[in-house]
Amino acid sequence: MDLRIKLPENAGEDIVYSLPFRFANDGERVDGIFCTDREYIYIYVGGELEEKYKISDFSEFVCRRQIGSSMAQGIKEDGEAVCFCAFSQEMFVRYGEVMKLLEHYVRTGELITETDEDEPVCPNCGLPLEGGSECVYCKSKGSTILRLLKRIGPYKKFFITAVICTMVSELIWVFMPYLDRIIIDDYVTPKVHEWTGFVSIVIAIVSLLLTAGVMELLNMRNSFRTALNIGRDLRQEVFEKSQQLSMSSLSKRTAGELINRVSGDAAKLEEFITANGKDAIVKLLSLLMIGVLLFVMDWRLALMTIVPIPVVFFIVKKLFNVMALRYTAVWKHSKNHSETLHDILNGIAVVKSFGSEAREIAHYEGCSLKWAKACVRAEIMWYLTIPFSEFVLTVGNFLVLYFGGSMILDRTMSLGELIQFTTYVAMLYEPIRWLIHIPRTLADTSVSAGKVFEILDMQSDVRDIEDPVDLDIKGDIEFDDVYFGYKAYVPVLKGISCKINKGEMIGIVGYSGVGKSTMINLILRLYDCTQGEIRIDGVPIKNIAQHSLRSQVGVVLQETFLFDGSVLDNISYARPDAPFEDIIKAAKIANAHDFIVKLPDGYNTRVGNKGYQLSGGERQRIAIARALLHDPKIIILDEATASLDTQTEKQIQQALGRLTAGRTTIAIAHRLSTLSNADRLIVLDKGKLAEFGTHKELMKSKGVYYRLVMAQRETTKMKKAAPQNTGSTAEAF
Amino acid sequence: MPNETKDEVYEVDKLTLLDCAKIHLTQEKSGFLTLEYGGQTYSRVDPTRLIPFLSKTTYISLSYENEEKEFREIGVIKDMKELSEKQYKLLDRFLEYKYYMPEITKVYSIRDNMRGAIFVKADTTSGEKTICVRDWYQNFRMLSAKYLYVNDADGNKYFCSDIEKLDRKSRNVLEMFT
Repeated sequence: MDLRIKLPENAGEDIVYSLPFRFANDGERVDGIFCTDREYIYIYVGGELEEKYKISDFSEFVCRRQIGSSMAQGIKEDGEAVCFCAFSQEMFVRYGEVMKLLEHYVRTGELITETDEDEPVCPNCGLPLEGGSECVYCKSKGSTILRLLKRIGPYKKFFITAVICTMVSELIWVFMPYLDRIIIDDYVTPKVHEWTGFVSIVIAIVSLLLTAGVMELLNMRNSFRTALNIGRDLRQEVFEKSQQLSMSSLSKRTAGELINRVSGDAAKLEEFITANGKDAIVKLLSLLMIGVLLFVMDWRLALMTIVPIPVVFFIVKKLFNVMALRYTAVWKHSKNHSETLHDILNGIAVVKSFGSEAREIAHYEGCSLKWAKACVRAEIMWYLTIPFSEFVLTVGNFLVLYFGGSMILDRTMSLGELIQFTTYVAMLYEPIRWLIHIPRTLADTSVSAGKVFEILDMQSDVRDIEDPVDLDIKGDIEFDDVYFGYKAYVPVLKGISCKINKGEMIGIVGYSGVGKSTMINLILRLYDCTQGEIRIDGVPIKNIAQHSLRSQVGVVLQETFLFDGSVLDNISYARPDAPFEDIIKAAKIANAHDFIVKLPDGYNTRVGNKGYQLSGGERQRIAIARALLHDPKIIILDEATASLDTQTEKQIQQALGRLTAGRTTIAIAHRLSTLSNADRLIVLDKGKLAEFGTHKELMKSKGVYYRLVMAQRETTKMKKAAPQNTGSTAEAF
Repeated sequence: MPNETKDEVYEVDKLTLLDCAKIHLTQEKSGFLTLEYGGQTYSRVDPTRLIPFLSKTTYISLSYENEEKEFREIGVIKDMKELSEKQYKLLDRFLEYKYYMPEITKVYSIRDNMRGAIFVKADTTSGEKTICVRDWYQNFRMLSAKYLYVNDADGNKYFCSDIEKLDRKSRNVLEMFT
């Protein structure tokens, strides 16, 4: 990454980093340069040196992202912050890198002058590379439609059969007018009663028609087979990709959007291949074939036929770009429509409880109306242009009829020949008409193809290394100077180092937003840490195969998601091949068996969205049973008992106790009392590990944990006092 | 950092509308502001527009982070017009820079790469540029019938408060994407 973008005019040769900025530290708009040598940071404004700071005066360097701008700050040992300058967001990654390198310099004394980080944006299109070295948008040059057609490859046997069958039937149709001509010229016009020849021609026509029918049947069979297989492949690939992508990539898209791409867009591509894939080849071939025939028959009449064609193609070419844009708008509104529908129906309970049905109906109506309007705009454009193009195209036909008629009168052409010729002209116009309609189809399809390939081209930012380790996890976890931020250069966790031993129960505590869930996400490797390393049993987590890691980690969250299916399906989700006895055992240990027995269909009771409504505690116990059946080596409990009443919590705690026995457990809980059985506690503060020890040790040291406990005791007291107050108020009334 | 006494209770449920006559803001070296109000001095004050798309100078929240990194709101300025000219200028300069968002004044062309990104060639109040927008159906959208909001691939924000006021060609170019 280039960190010397713009140097001040009179800069010395020892300048290490030099970046432009737009705002001075008081927010005034300026044309400035931030640069450093080994000792100082220099701030130039309008070419003049405005400020000079000694690098060693600062202990920390940070980039703060604001709304439309960001600032570069240095923080001194006593906490005093100094803003060097502020800049617009396209410079954020470069400033972030400089701040990181300066902090490394003050910490270690090593000044890195050439960073091996990749350029933040693609030099070709300007889009951010987001960690990759190649731009996914510029990498594959092939057009989307071409990429789509390449997918025919695995089914080329069916596809080629379909093409051959269509070509044979096209040839038959081309031969037919010749037979018509013989009948007219040899039997109808001279009024000849020679039946043998006439009957043999009729037999030839019938047999050819039958053959064409059989060819058409074979063609349809093979075309559908190709298209349906390609459609299935695309749907499968988009779905597989959605499962492979990391959480950070997936969180950018709504579930509705992904559903739309798996089903809607892939179906459109399938339809395109069925209707147009082989047609493209056959229509072009028949265009060529009939064109040659027309010229052989009469080159002057043939010329008259093709005169309007270039005009039509010019219109078609112009139309393609406009239609592509109009269909993009249709796609956008259709997507908004389905997402709105998904959103409202998912939150139907909230809509009803607030009595806002009318508002949502109006909201939906708005989206639906916009979609309809976009469709109308696209179709109007189409239907305004097409009749005109078709008229221009058929002008040649009138010329042929006029001059052909004159030739018959002059006896230079027979009636049969003219009929054969005009039939060929009509046949020539058919592929041309198809070509006129192609921009509409192509535009519509290329939008959908673009959306499907956009998902397929996405790169997961959490990837397995080339030869990942399949580790049989024992349960030792080590954080070694771990830094992480959901957005680059905005760290949520800073320099976390700790060692968790096999079989230990560790509680993570701290204020909201301090990074507790982030630590868990890193252990699950839903994200990769930006600096430092996490090791499990001494093996870096990045070297362990994701499948191997996650199959040995069990998670119980605050909100349990149950799939649509039976209780049995949901528990056995962790191990589909588990014998039923093991499932009952897991349910028993999870305190779930007793309530399952009371359900109408026992273990076969359908639960989830469409099934029997279970309470929060019951769902939680099914989740614990699921985790138990999984037999994980590491257990993660994220606020597992937060939303439960005291009685239910007791039962769940009991179940959790059995689940966690002998396994490395990491638990997050806001209610510190629920972590009473933790062996040690990690206390996070401002993204750093503030304290690590047993409850007793931490209470003794009277640090952050002590303050948290005291604050919570105070709240509990207040809560206990509250009902009494209510009571006295009630009495007073 | 505020000079908050230990006994002081932060009333999270109370909206404090600040008396503009008593507000005294000064620029800090840290890039933030210092506020003197009601006998108290608050440092590293970070003003926030509560309704940035609807109004730039009304409902401005003044807040800071305490030593525990907890959010503390000092109060809300209902209308910056009530401030003295000097104070208005200082606060406005901070907000304009924090919410730096060039306005789009003309749109020349929009190119769709058919893979979710568009490239908008436009004139803005900070000069002519090609704005790269990734996931454009999320980041290039109308917040109301007239207000266009653009969030580019780098995180820069652009807006057009009334697309109806743009020239005819710009409106035609925008039509397909809004």
